[in-house]
Amino acid sequence: MSPKGKAAGKGRGRREKLEDMKKEMDMDDHKLDLKDLEIKYSTSVTKGLSPPAASERLLRDGPNELRPPKGTPEWLKFGRQLAGGLQCLMWVAALICLIAYGVQEGEGQRGSADNLYLAVALIAVVMVTGCFGYYQEFKSTNIIASFKNLVPQQATVIRDGEKLQVNANELVVGDLVEIKGGDRVPADIRVIMAQGCKVDNSSLTGESEPQTRSPECSHESPLETRNIAFFSTMCLEGTALGTVINTGDRTIIGRIASLASGVDNEQTPIAIEIEHFVDIIAGLAILFGATFFVVAMLIGYPFLRAMVFFMAIVVAYVPEGLLATVTVCLSLTAKRLARKNCVVKNLEAVETLGSTSTICSDKTGTLTQNRMTVAHLWFDNHIHSADTTEDQSGQSFDQSSETWTMLSRVIALCNRAQFKPGQDNVPIAKRDVIGDASETALLKFAEASMGPVGTLRDQYPKVLELPFNSSNKFQVSVHAAGERQLLVLKGAPERVLERCSHVLLKGQDLPLDPQWTEAFEGAYAELGGRGERVLGFCSRWLPAGSVAPDQDPEELPALASGLCFSGLVSMIDPPRATVPQAVLKCRTAGIRVIMVTGDHPITAKAIASAVGIISEGSETPEEVAARMRVPLERVDPRQARARVVTGAELAAMTPQDLEGLLRTHPEMVFARTSPQQKLVIVESCQRLGSIVAVTGDGVNDSPALKKADIGVAMGIAGSDAAKNAADMILLDDNFASIVTGVEQGRLIFDNLKKSIAYTLTKNIPELTPYLIYITASIPLPLGCITILFIELCTDIFPSVSLAYERAESDIMHLKPRDPRRDRLVNEPLAAYSYFQIGAIQSFAGFCDYFVAMAQEGWWPEQCLGLRAQWEDPHEQELQDSYGQQWTFWQRRWQQYTCYTVFFISIEMCQVADCLIRKSRRLSLLQQGPCRNRILVLAIVFQVCIGCFLCYCPGMAHIFNFMPIRFQWWFVPMPFGLLILIYDEIRKLGVRRHPGSWWDRELYY
Amino acid sequence: MARGKAKDGDGNWKKFIWNSEKKELLGRTGGSWFKILLFYVIFYGCLAGIFIGTIQVMLLTVSEFEPKYQDRVAPPGLTQVPQVQKTEISFTASDPKSFELYVRNIEKFLNDYKADQQTENIIFEECGDIPADYKERGLYNDAQGQKKVCKFKREWLENCSGINDPTFGYGYGKPCILIKLNRIIGFKPKAPANETLPPDLTTKYHPYLIPVHCTAKRDEDADKIGTVEYYGMGGYPGFGLQYYPYYGKLLQPRYLQPLVAVQFTNLTYDMEVRVECKAYGQNIQYSDKDRFQGRFDIKFDIKSS
Repeated sequence: MSPKGKAAGKGRGRREKLEDMKKEMDMDDHKLDLKDLEIKYSTSVTKGLSPPAASERLLRDGPNELRPPKGTPEWLKFGRQLAGGLQCLMWVAALICLIAYGVQEGEGQRGSADNLYLAVALIAVVMVTGCFGYYQEFKSTNIIASFKNLVPQQATVIRDGEKLQVNANELVVGDLVEIKGGDRVPADIRVIMAQGCKVDNSSLTGESEPQTRSPECSHESPLETRNIAFFSTMCLEGTALGTVINTGDRTIIGRIASLASGVDNEQTPIAIEIEHFVDIIAGLAILFGATFFVVAMLIGYPFLRAMVFFMAIVVAYVPEGLLATVTVCLSLTAKRLARKNCVVKNLEAVETLGSTSTICSDKTGTLTQNRMTVAHLWFDNHIHSADTTEDQSGQSFDQSSETWTMLSRVIALCNRAQFKPGQDNVPIAKRDVIGDASETALLKFAEASMGPVGTLRDQYPKVLELPFNSSNKFQVSVHAAGERQLLVLKGAPERVLERCSHVLLKGQDLPLDPQWTEAFEGAYAELGGRGERVLGFCSRWLPAGSVAPDQDPEELPALASGLCFSGLVSMIDPPRATVPQAVLKCRTAGIRVIMVTGDHPITAKAIASAVGIISEGSETPEEVAARMRVPLERVDPRQARARVVTGAELAAMTPQDLEGLLRTHPEMVFARTSPQQKLVIVESCQRLGSIVAVTGDGVNDSPALKKADIGVAMGIAGSDAAKNAADMILLDDNFASIVTGVEQGRLIFDNLKKSIAYTLTKNIPELTPYLIYITASIPLPLGCITILFIELCTDIFPSVSLAYERAESDIMHLKPRDPRRDRLVNEPLAAYSYFQIGAIQSFAGFCDYFVAMAQEGWWPEQCLGLRAQWEDPHEQELQDSYGQQWTFWQRRWQQYTCYTVFFISIEMCQVADCLIRKSRRLSLLQQGPCRNRILVLAIVFQVCIGCFLCYCPGMAHIFNFMPIRFQWWFVPMPFGLLILIYDEIRKLGVRRHPGSWWDRELYY
Repeated sequence: MARGKAKDGDGNWKKFIWNSEKKELLGRTGGSWFKILLFYVIFYGCLAGIFIGTIQVMLLTVSEFEPKYQDRVAPPGLTQVPQVQKTEISFTASDPKSFELYVRNIEKFLNDYKADQQTENIIFEECGDIPADYKERGLYNDAQGQKKVCKFKREWLENCSGINDPTFGYGYGKPCILIKLNRIIGFKPKAPANETLPPDLTTKYHPYLIPVHCTAKRDEDADKIGTVEYYGMGGYPGFGLQYYPYYGKLLQPRYLQPLVAVQFTNLTYDMEVRVECKAYGQNIQYSDKDRFQGRFDIKFDIKSS
């Protein structure tokens, strides 16, 4: 678990870089004519490069792919695992052991290899936990790596006049490439020729509006001009031919991506927590060690012995297994999340989501389904709702009217989109369609509501059509219908109405009258106000032969007058079905959801209202103004819960203004925002003390994703750059998955707390033997090797199993934790673990120790002050309380017996400790003592390991474990029972008297 | 306690130690400290009570006279007098200072074995001059008061008794050591079967004797240790069984362990000679790890000048 680096002080640097990036985009390729272009890139716009020239350039410029962000070298990553705060302490301890061993060897004291042994064990511990942490990190990095190169991208390139298919990463500057609908643009391309080419620049700008690409230079800025297509954007339809002008990291996308990798990650809250806590532990360990070092020196121990005491205290006090436990707990949750479609790149991100207090969510694809769907229809002077759910199960509006028959016919016929063949068994909603978003929506709608469109189209074969263009703003086509011809037209409602003289009402052709026009205006305004894209539909019967197939389509608009209006259809990218509930869950969980989108404010607001980001009854200042009939300036902003801010407004604000806004209005929607503004919004939220999650999919989102405390990228729609910058990836692009993540994150925070409390407790019974040993000079009750066994062997399983504990209460009804107040390890947790449960465990251990000593002949009062003689290797006839004489090794075996007895005592108490840690507030019975099967198993396993260590032959010689008498297992049990009872009393008090002194001091 | 630190992060340490605004010492006000300390006083009071109670109850179950278990202390260790650091005896025969420590050590040890120390007939009894069977003295309690103790005559040690030679042979370069078996309550060493004894010892076999025998530790030293004289009860080189079992320091406070004195009359000078002494008995075992169980080894380094 390595700190992810410091972000402080780099903010300004990044801002400057952003400015730089804007400047760098001042390229002039789009302004050059083809001749100059050929000269500049020494290529041909007809034949392309020659293959040798291409390979030469490939060698010079490198492959055409985004270099993955420069990672830390592997050895450094591994090194970091070995150099954490606790690890450093362990190194020091190992060093002291080695020195002690060296000095003893030098003095010729043979046979005291204990110190060497311990040093090796300590180094092994550091190495093993280091390898483990490294492996975990390595694994999660690999998950991301697996996303790449899923499908090697192909590109059609013309070299020496020949069309070739090559891997997109082999493209070089000057290559002539061809793109067609459905392709991903393989590099930055200056368009030379285009036929109805449209691209989706959403991965770059966040706006999914299709944009035309044509050879002419239409704008000064390379980002706005039509004759440049950008790397990794999608070509939606049409074809284009162009010259590659930038490849790999030099493309616009590449520059943004490298910018994002330049933004340093924020340290995750859990990393801060753990660092905070490791600092305290390390500090206390050194403090304890140093104190007793001084005490030992004062008592008169030689320097070396005092150093060994220092080392032993460090070993006893440092929770060696803790970091491994935390890592395992986090990775378990990460696994659980992966099953629910959240892949976590950085383990710590699991918890970050739990402490999230603000989610800045993108609209398209996350909150919405990312596909246009027919939402409403207006015919017969009535607004009908269409089914916008994801599965499109069926339409519920009244389809009996003849107007509907006509309207549906127009919808189906006046449509250039078509299904790709061979998809008859695929549900309509999931079929692939060739055509733009609105036409696709209409086609699917028609297919779903009136049956196969193909049959209808066969029935009315198309004679002639004029596709949609921006000057006409409508599309018209003529179809043969037996002895008649049918002219159908769709387009912007106002343009459509201009051409209508009649209107279809319940199957009746009625002339247009002002009253009806008013109704039309009302419906149009209403649908438009919902943020929906509205199209009007009309038709007219023509006599046969009015239009011939070979006629110029440009003559069609002349024919299209005096039409009969059949209805309006409005479309929207509808919210996902699960989103409103998820937003509500966030809200009950005290998480604020802010929408940040590049879309229009009206659409944004409509979706925000639909999913509950703007809750029912909340008003924006504009609405308040309208309701109270006062000018907008006089509205008290506090009256308006909601607020929609556009990018333009945002640009005029200072960060303080923005913070003010965020404070005043709990429900915020940002529309028409640029990538930089996203970053500003995230930073403002963070300055307000929120832990911010950002969702996004485009390259433009990647700086914000990186800046956020947790960046969530979309697995399906997300660009590689976004995935690289993110900490978490939603495989199903679904906002509701975030809520699951939040829940799991909160649960793991609670469970980590329990786990840590469990782990910390035993440090006291490990430490006290040394303290008593030094001060009261009793024979050592617990050895360092035994301590390492407790830390890293027996107690690991129960502490990990606590990660499986279920929530005590409905965690999704609580506020997110305050990162400054609700710490992972707080004072009551430490005090309760150390000074209460830990103390009971120490007493249990000493009790068992004295029993074992007394029953073997050493009464407690004789143990005091016995140390020097006891440990004298030349004393072979030390008298016990009965006058029996013990050789050195007989005493040694007895000492190992004591280690084992103390070990078993700690184990027995830890069983009780594990049970009480299951809940912090509820009674054990309420929580269900056996409900966490894994925990029960872990306890059984722990006891089994304990038995194995005790009774496996040979353990005495290797690990200083002795087979102990059966009854010594039972001595600590009353203390275990005491722990259980005492904790039940504590919990009862906490439950009965919330806020009382008891609650404040003892609830952790 | 970390509350203050948690609150201010890296903040103001001084303020944490003493916050004059809120009158807080280490993050707590006086009243708060009083309450929490009172809590802990009560808490630890109860715990200590339980602890002491448990220990007391445990001690009730432990007999005063007889340890509950002896699996760690038996079989017994074999030890020598003088007690020496690093098991090395090094001296110059002509320099009394060099062996003064050893002599004083032996002398002090043998103090209890003086005849005038063994006169009280309430405590001591005569157990014969030759090895005999175990002397059982009833149950391990003080119902009949203290148990009697067998006398051990210092004269039996002859040249090593210090009666004739106050330097115990050290002055002549013929050092004596006294060998004894560690005291174990109730332990009855069993005499070895005749056939298991090394050939040197078979001649000295007696059914009520735990024989002791010293040889060179290393084979190449075999010719360097010269003759070894053994002095024990009745001239036997071992411990008579009538001294066993031992009844503990409460019932036999003046118990005399049977001794065997070993004198090396012809040790090679000016080199380290390692000697290993072993006690033989059916229930006396040796261990690789514990070099003092049933045997010990000792190094002699006698300097000629």
